Amino acid sequence: MDGISLELTSPRLLELDPEDAGEKAKMQAQRPALFAGYRDLRRLRYDYPLVLVETDGGSARVQSLTGVVDDLIRRIVPPGPQGKAFRWQLLHMEETVRGLVADGAGGRLSQLWRKAEAQLLEANGKDARDDLVRNLDLARETLETDGEVIDCDDKTPARFLVHAWNTIHASKAKAFRKRVDGLILKLSDILKADFVKSNKARSPEILKSAVGDTFNTDFDFAAMSRVLVEGSHSDMLSAERRQRIEAVLMVLQSQRFYGPGRASGSWVEEVEPYSFIFDNCAAAMDAFRDRLPQMVDFIEALSIAELEIENKYRPDLHDPFFQRFDESELTAEDLALFPSYLVCLRDGESDAAETVRALEAIASGFPVKVLIQTDDIVGDSSPEPPRTSFGGGSARLAAMALGANHAYVFQTASASLFRLQERVLKGLMYDGPALFSIYSGVTRTVSGVPPYLLAAAATESRAFPSFTYDPAAGPDWASRFDIRDNPQPEAAWPVHTLSYEDAELQRISHTGAITHVDFVVCDSRYERHWVPTSRSKWLDTMVPADELLSNGGNCAEPVPYVWTVDADGCLRRTVVDDRLIEGARRCAETWRTLQELGGINNSHARRQLDAARESWEQEREREREALGAGAAAPQPADVLAVAAQPKPKSEPEPEPAVAEEDARSPDEPYIETARCTTCNECTQINNKMFVYNDNKQAYIADPDAGSYRQMVEAAESCQVSIIHPGKPRNPDEPNLAELIERAEPFN
Amino acid sequence: MGRPMHAPRTECLLNLIDQEYAIRDYQSDIPPRWCTGCGDNGILTAVQRLCRDEQLPPEKTVFVSGIGCSSRLPHYMNAYGFHGLHGRAFPVAEGIKMRRPDLHVFVTTGDGDCCSIGAAHWIHAIRYNMNMTVLMHDNQIYGLTKKQASPTSPRGLKSNTTPRGTYLDPLNPLTVTLGVPNVSFVAQAADWIPEVLYDIISQAYRHKGFSFVRVLQRCPEFMPHRFDAWVQDPSLTRLVVHQKGLTLSADTSRTYRNQEIHDPGDIDRAREIASLTEEVPVGILYRNPEVPCYEDLREGERPNTPGLIRTVLDEEFDKFTIWPDDAPDRAPAE
Repeated sequence: MDGISLELTSPRLLELDPEDAGEKAKMQAQRPALFAGYRDLRRLRYDYPLVLVETDGGSARVQSLTGVVDDLIRRIVPPGPQGKAFRWQLLHMEETVRGLVADGAGGRLSQLWRKAEAQLLEANGKDARDDLVRNLDLARETLETDGEVIDCDDKTPARFLVHAWNTIHASKAKAFRKRVDGLILKLSDILKADFVKSNKARSPEILKSAVGDTFNTDFDFAAMSRVLVEGSHSDMLSAERRQRIEAVLMVLQSQRFYGPGRASGSWVEEVEPYSFIFDNCAAAMDAFRDRLPQMVDFIEALSIAELEIENKYRPDLHDPFFQRFDESELTAEDLALFPSYLVCLRDGESDAAETVRALEAIASGFPVKVLIQTDDIVGDSSPEPPRTSFGGGSARLAAMALGANHAYVFQTASASLFRLQERVLKGLMYDGPALFSIYSGVTRTVSGVPPYLLAAAATESRAFPSFTYDPAAGPDWASRFDIRDNPQPEAAWPVHTLSYEDAELQRISHTGAITHVDFVVCDSRYERHWVPTSRSKWLDTMVPADELLSNGGNCAEPVPYVWTVDADGCLRRTVVDDRLIEGARRCAETWRTLQELGGINNSHARRQLDAARESWEQEREREREALGAGAAAPQPADVLAVAAQPKPKSEPEPEPAVAEEDARSPDEPYIETARCTTCNECTQINNKMFVYNDNKQAYIADPDAGSYRQMVEAAESCQVSIIHPGKPRNPDEPNLAELIERAEPFN
Repeated sequence: MGRPMHAPRTECLLNLIDQEYAIRDYQSDIPPRWCTGCGDNGILTAVQRLCRDEQLPPEKTVFVSGIGCSSRLPHYMNAYGFHGLHGRAFPVAEGIKMRRPDLHVFVTTGDGDCCSIGAAHWIHAIRYNMNMTVLMHDNQIYGLTKKQASPTSPRGLKSNTTPRGTYLDPLNPLTVTLGVPNVSFVAQAADWIPEVLYDIISQAYRHKGFSFVRVLQRCPEFMPHRFDAWVQDPSLTRLVVHQKGLTLSADTSRTYRNQEIHDPGDIDRAREIASLTEEVPVGILYRNPEVPCYEDLREGERPNTPGLIRTVLDEEFDKFTIWPDDAPDRAPAE
């Protein structure tokens, strides 16, 4: 590794430089060899273009065109050979739409679909026309999905985020309106019920209008009013409570956080709902601060409304509480009720201070969702220091994920956005702040590589790894931090197989890793750090860059290279200098940190494991020594024998009820209270002697509160025969002999 | 939204001032006017115990009834009540639940009220499976009107309307209920086993759905010895027990030794048990918490506020309105 230095490699680069200018130009339009298969994205089926579906709360908020067409095929195309033509027609439609979008056509899917239909009909001859028209009609009628169609370009991250935010906002608004409308309805019902009890509601005019036109001549409403007013109760609402309810209603109806939706009638009209999407953090924070008093008022009204509806508002208790109600009383749950603030920033375009402000906003727990779109990962090429950022582009945001403990952080490239849309939605739904760092793939200095491919390469080469930090997922890093969305997350670099045809038309395959170097050689800003070479100039000391990065190469002066293809699709070894290798090392280091955080090859865990293994080995060693010394260690068979021994049986539990019964003297009167059916027989005979307990079941409260005769009569009349009269307590009571005989069956 | 929106502060404040309800708080000013010895008293006690143990706020609890001795129960409860038309307790209760799902709805009905004049409503109430607790007091006679045969009266019973005895076998409310689609809870209790009665009513209350409890109820006035055999001989009562259903105390278990372990999820066995004639089954015969409740199926996205109703109606009328040329701008509704 020490063998690589600028001094050593630079002369060699010069030596390898092709002299022919034409050849040179062709070689400069190069890209990594693994991209060779993706030359024309229009002809490939992949995630983009995306359809931003406008649903309210459904799961498929964004769909890929390919998914939409596949769904269509599954639904309307007959399976097997008879559906073949139809299937091809639909796939052609997909290709045409994709082509239209790639040419810059925008709009809704339905519009693009119609345009594509026209193109397809035009391209087809008259023979196939009838069939095609019929099939296209059917497809159009079946196509339910609609929404804006977007391609992978510089506007994609913001449009995607705004769409997702709108989706969440719509479902939040729905839940909000349901709750608030319910409260408004119930509060209005209280006022309405109160009005109906008032004398005004019993006035002849109101009574007349209540009866309607048909019969209103049959009644004397004045007399009716007189009768009703005289007989009415006066349990009206207190003026104070009425005022309180009216004030709360006013606040609930005039809030501006969500629009009224369909039920505009129950809201105060002409209130314009607030906007929550901003292009700078300062405006978002100002808006939040300005709206804070309204939020406090609203939450206060909400709490009072709920208390009023439950009829639990106690002025003595609640008035002081609500008088000192201020923003310090707002909880995270309260804040979650309101829409979050979405700020879309673009690294490089937005003010650099904005990024700092966004980080501050996130750190302060302000409910903001920030999108930072990155268009350039590696930065400008400058040989002068500081050049530390080169290769470590993602380090800054990863470090921030560590710092802001309570913020949701999600990073990815726009190529993976569709696949990871749930992560975006989760971040937007998260109660606290969230940061979305998205690489658009639109780096101006890269030519010939479409943004989708470049974005995918950024993830693939670890230049812009995907990761999620979700504080709501659990208490520890293991549950919060996730890097599994990266290709081959266990590996330092993802390994792929490259297959090609050599000069003798033989198929050759070899595996190699995609590294940061592969990503950088797409960028023309760095062209002085590499030179493509054709086969005639290959040297024995050439080593693939990934090999060099992982083990330093086997020869003394390795010349690192990566496989690239030129504009003609010819394979080249592009020799790179140590600047690029250095950058790749830095990138690998950042990735290793992410891996550790994500639980892969975690150094702490490894150390502990090593220590545990060592002590286990030592333990084993000691055991072996002890065995060698002749001491009898417990044999497995002995252990089994111990385990097989039956456990001593626990003593049978005593039955306390029996004991209790035994303890009771047979002479004492008693009732089996638990079996009492509350039928009032005994209590009607003597309600001092027989009394109901807390469960409204009878027991003998005082056996001396009545005569033995009453006791026996109660026993006789008891429907479930649970009264046991015992022996008489007063020996002087008349007719005792007869009573004792009657009591006998019940004792 | 994955999580329901709560206002914990309000709940906290509510808890602070929550009062503790005792049984007497559920007793109305009117003392029960059932005959002394009547089984309805025991049912009232069990219901009042349930309200106290669940701490149901009286203003959030409604008892709905039809006509009959059983249907007097709402008068004796200090809660909201609706003493409705004969056989029409169910539609009233369904209306209440639909409009005010936050209320705890109980229906008390009798064998005549439920199985005769109200049978149509009963069948459909089972099918609708709205969340309410139904207590069907079955004394097998019309008692309030002084002894006429009801659909559950035993064959041959002589009454004012059947002086030569009834001609038909009685209707079995358990098998009927178990035969209706969407049935979700069926149990049988007896007023003379108060512990089990309370336990069954309490489980019926906790079941989300239409919980149908038939309570065998003694009428000492007009059917004086009808249930004597079962009251006096516990072996004639088969207690249907299960760890997922009814469990018994040691005392009850010792008295009622005739027990069957029956999983309340097994509807086929439930129907067999319900059809027993010699023995009286007592316990939870069937329970299926998965059956959806009608009020949930029909829950709108938002409450039907007067504003929403007006807006929707206006939109409908607009479809048929011929607008003059100077019509106001009609923005499409959201």
